[in-house]
Amino acid sequence: MDITFLIQLLLNGVVVGLFYGLVAVGLSLIFGVLEIVNFAHGDFYMLGAMLAFFSGMYLQFDYFISIAVVIIVSVFIGYLLYQILIVKLKNRSFEQSILLTIGVSMVIQNGSLYLWTATPKMLSNLYSYKVLEFANLTLPMLRAIASIVTIITFSVIFWIFYFTRLGKAMRGISQNRDAALMVGIDPVRIGLYAVIIGVTLSGLAGAVLAPIYTVHPTMGFAFIFKAFAIIIIGGLGNISGTVFAALVLGIVESFVGGIFQLALVDAIAFIFMSIVLLVKPEGIWGRGVRV
Amino acid sequence: MVYESKFKISLLALILLLCISPYFFHSEYYFTLGITVCTFAVLSAGLNLLYGYIGLLSFAQVAFFGIGAYTSAILVTQNSWTIWTALPIAGIFTGIVGAFVGYTSLKLSRHAFAIVTLSFSLLCTIIAREWISLTRGSMGIPGLPAPTINIPSLETIVLDRPNYLYPVFLIYTVLALFLFYRLGVSRIGRALKAIKLDEPLASSQGINVLSHKILAIVVSAVLSGMVGGLFVFHLTIVDPSIFDFYYTESMLIMVIIGGPGSYWGVLCASILFSVIPDLLRFSSDLRMVAYGVLLIISVLILPNGVAGFLRNRNNKRWKIH
Repeated sequence: MDITFLIQLLLNGVVVGLFYGLVAVGLSLIFGVLEIVNFAHGDFYMLGAMLAFFSGMYLQFDYFISIAVVIIVSVFIGYLLYQILIVKLKNRSFEQSILLTIGVSMVIQNGSLYLWTATPKMLSNLYSYKVLEFANLTLPMLRAIASIVTIITFSVIFWIFYFTRLGKAMRGISQNRDAALMVGIDPVRIGLYAVIIGVTLSGLAGAVLAPIYTVHPTMGFAFIFKAFAIIIIGGLGNISGTVFAALVLGIVESFVGGIFQLALVDAIAFIFMSIVLLVKPEGIWGRGVRV
Repeated sequence: MVYESKFKISLLALILLLCISPYFFHSEYYFTLGITVCTFAVLSAGLNLLYGYIGLLSFAQVAFFGIGAYTSAILVTQNSWTIWTALPIAGIFTGIVGAFVGYTSLKLSRHAFAIVTLSFSLLCTIIAREWISLTRGSMGIPGLPAPTINIPSLETIVLDRPNYLYPVFLIYTVLALFLFYRLGVSRIGRALKAIKLDEPLASSQGINVLSHKILAIVVSAVLSGMVGGLFVFHLTIVDPSIFDFYYTESMLIMVIIGGPGSYWGVLCASILFSVIPDLLRFSSDLRMVAYGVLLIISVLILPNGVAGFLRNRNNKRWKIH
């Protein structure tokens, strides 16, 4: 086994980890601020991919223009989701919020199955079938572009989270809800921003990844479970922990898949999660899975 | 009280009538429908015990259903057991798995509990799909033999049609539901409800919270596992789709609309939601969309389900007069 192969596996793992992170960060953010586990998160990812597919195939939009369109629509969806449904939950129990988002997920997923059938759709654009080569390492052009978009997105999210008043308010709420309220942070308004950012990240992930994976109504389903495992490993509501856990998962999957050629690659996330929960139930950097 | 017991007696009579109703129509379709109703009645009663009584939103029920299904199918096809010996073993095995899942996940917060039980169900799907030497992967195990009843000095009865299989389901369902009912009204059931209302208070009264929770998980796992083991002999095939999220969603709808914690409410809802969509011949996608809308409306408007709504209305009426 030569060193190039290992570096190639590492590169593939990092790229896939970045993609996982893009979905998981939004989920973690919504959980941190609102204590809601958004079961419909994967469906917003799917809607983003569908929208990118239709705008790319039928409207002949450029890759980047369709990403922009998806971002705008996702902000709108996030706004509606919060104002129509989530805000009505008020202080209901945590289980009620899960049931609500499962309901949303059932409507979106089965509605899309009805409208667009289960047939996988392929989106190809200018960058498909192009490959970047560097010192015997290869990386498909689309994955490279998607990784760059993801890194830029992460930078923006980290900037918001650590260098703006909004980010400070979000961190405040996720650390101590009552104390945040006491110092004048409006949880309803901050919750709205958290949901909008979370849904937009998920939609963006769908739009960015649409040409890389096939687009179909249940595509969000498998992805979202890995995202759940990632936010548990990284510590619920912890953004940096989530990104780190996503990268580690991507790399581990890539190495296990490349070296052992196991069919059980999809189970790694769950095994990883079980180990973390048994050894350190509050997540690697958790603010505490235990309440 | 008189009003309530009269209501319950008429409800019981109605359910009994529904039980024998397939015999009025000379069509296998109604027996198949009856089998579906029985299966969902047990499954939703199991979820109700966990969510309605203790407030544990468990997504592992479908995993126990599927594990029971696979265990009995494998024992019958590969070890050539009869279904009557395979079923209890499937139940015991599911119970052990349930105890393990419960013990590990109950130490976590409620948020993590929901995610971990969900992941466990998905892990079961992956194992069923990938452990090909045991489960034959996505191809599933087809051609499960029809259960037979061997009575000495009589000829063997082969239960190869829904008409013959239905009574077996009915007997099992009645037994399982009776067990759930007894558990609900027993001292244990009251302890479970106390845990839901106020966990620290319950434990200060000397109720062992963890062991009660594990007991409830094990009971619902055993009964769901056995109904799974029986159900695949109606389907005659078991494949990874036995772990489908569809079963979880249906169970949730029945429990939430019926009223979490209300035994009769959930039972009525599981009958209604198994029968009506089937009779109306909805496309299955649209049916799930309608279920989703119902779930959203129910969470926002009727958080305690129809039964909770009726109970509240009655309480209000008593207060006014």
